[in-house]
Amino acid sequence: MAYGAQTDLAERSAFSVFWNRFVAVVRLSPTAAIGLFIIGVFGLLAFLAPWIMPHDPVAAYTDRVLQAPSAEHWFGTDGNGMDVFSRVIYGARFGFGIAIPAVLLSLAIGVPVGLIAGYRGGYLDEILMRFFDGLRVFPSIILALAVVAATGQSLFNVILVLGLLDSPVFARVVRAEVLALRSSNFVESAVAAGNPTWRILFVHLLPNAIQGAMAQTAVRAAWAVRISATLAFLGVGIQAPTPEWGAMIRQGAEFMVSGQWWVAVYPGLALIFMVFGLNLFGDGLQDLMDPRRRAAK
Amino acid sequence: MSQPVLTVRGLCKRFPAGGDRFVNAVNHVDLSIARGETLGMVGESGSGKSTLGRVILRLSEPTRGSIEFDGQDITKMPKGRVRPLRRDMQMVFQDPWSALNPRMRIRDLIGEPLKLHMRLSRSERDDRIEALARRVNLSNAYLNRTPANLSGGQLQRVCIARAIATEPKLIVLDEPTSSLDLSVRAGILELLNEICRESRAALLFISHDLGTVRMISDRIAVLYLGEVVEQGRAEALFENPSHPYTQALLSAHLPADPMVKVNRHVLEGEVPSPIALPSGCKFHTRCPVAIDRCRSDVPEVHQVPTGQHARCLRIPDGGNIYHRKQTA
Repeated sequence: MAYGAQTDLAERSAFSVFWNRFVAVVRLSPTAAIGLFIIGVFGLLAFLAPWIMPHDPVAAYTDRVLQAPSAEHWFGTDGNGMDVFSRVIYGARFGFGIAIPAVLLSLAIGVPVGLIAGYRGGYLDEILMRFFDGLRVFPSIILALAVVAATGQSLFNVILVLGLLDSPVFARVVRAEVLALRSSNFVESAVAAGNPTWRILFVHLLPNAIQGAMAQTAVRAAWAVRISATLAFLGVGIQAPTPEWGAMIRQGAEFMVSGQWWVAVYPGLALIFMVFGLNLFGDGLQDLMDPRRRAAK
Repeated sequence: MSQPVLTVRGLCKRFPAGGDRFVNAVNHVDLSIARGETLGMVGESGSGKSTLGRVILRLSEPTRGSIEFDGQDITKMPKGRVRPLRRDMQMVFQDPWSALNPRMRIRDLIGEPLKLHMRLSRSERDDRIEALARRVNLSNAYLNRTPANLSGGQLQRVCIARAIATEPKLIVLDEPTSSLDLSVRAGILELLNEICRESRAALLFISHDLGTVRMISDRIAVLYLGEVVEQGRAEALFENPSHPYTQALLSAHLPADPMVKVNRHVLEGEVPSPIALPSGCKFHTRCPVAIDRCRSDVPEVHQVPTGQHARCLRIPDGGNIYHRKQTA
């Protein structure tokens, strides 16, 4: 290996480069790797749901209501006689289906606002950031409840509300980076070269200011999964019998006292694991992207 | 001499310094640069030379006075109308490590002014970029790398290529060599010298290093506390400095030949604060030939027999000369 290391370096395949990176990430942050593994498992479940599910998640076997876990129904059946195992698997689709577009929307709103507020400063900065602070004043779950209840019960509205409510997080991070960058020489040199403001913002500042926001995405996705499940649990947004974990826990809650624990516990565990995995990965991501945090480890 | 590319009249720039106090960085500067001419701007650190360069290019807003560029008054022109003019006025910064976007490839950095100001096809632009890289002696192998992979001298070559890409009429060079190693500096200076000679651009070369300025400039302006104290042709100014401050600066400058004996004069005291400028002549607190009148009267600009213009009260009575070059 020692000999010929030079040529190895030049001829390494794209896969081995990727693999070495991957190994380096695992070494640097084992928790991130565990988180990524958990997310990966849920991702597979969501993607392969139609082939994995033993039953149709919304098929009601009226003759098998509230059956305990068995070989036929691994996680038992719920009050409608639907297979809980299939429903838990299908629920992963809702987890990703809400979290990913909500975070993308947050980025799409928060990042440009942070860029403009940080670069322009002055009154515009004050107004934008005070408005966003205002959004953060209310406990997000209450605001989300109110808005979803007012705008109508739909998956689309839940995503819209979560995306909007969470955008201040990204705006703040990006703004802080831009404040540090805007008086830097390369920005002045870009102005001197004749760049219009939009190019300064999106070509010069964005790539240098986006790292902190990217590091936040996984943690914010965990938040979106948690809040959307909470909304469904409270009966806002997604309604039973849609196989969404929050809605399933709501359905199962009434059977807890009578001993049919499986209806609520299995979707609850799935929710916990998904949020846990996203948070582990998110935390590791922040460590990896912030050299100061990395050094402190 | 042809019509000047840049004419600056009575230019002032001050920054708020808390309360009703201001930092007077640039004070009533008049200067002009013609096509193909290089004006060297010398002064100590804190003399306002960098601020002056930035205000001239409207990277910083002027407080008073006027800037005329290529026949147009750009002093109060809205930013949106200045932007297309930037094709014809470019800048090279002091610190090449921080003056380039770390996330962009060298190719895109050099090509950026072309992209912004000229309608060229992709292949035309690539040809121009490669020609520019050749012009500044930068190997094409570097074009697809990012700034972190280049040395300081190479980065400054990239900055220069960027500045000359659109063949501007005015280039402001803000201490382009002072952050570079001595060995690299000579190469960059040689390159700048060539560019001066072959291009028809007017150059404003800002530096604190007299040797560098002398090598490259046609005319020199000496800045003290944001004010031009002496301005004139380079040889005349070096041979017969007429302002006491210029004389002190030149005497502090070591000649290249160690056998030449110099009669050195070291100025007393510190540069006064630009927040509370001295009354009368701003140099009177450190001037070896100051008289009582210098404390109260603001000196006018006089032309001396060797052609320079200097701002000193003692020029009419001949008392301004206190220091003569001695050659052994």
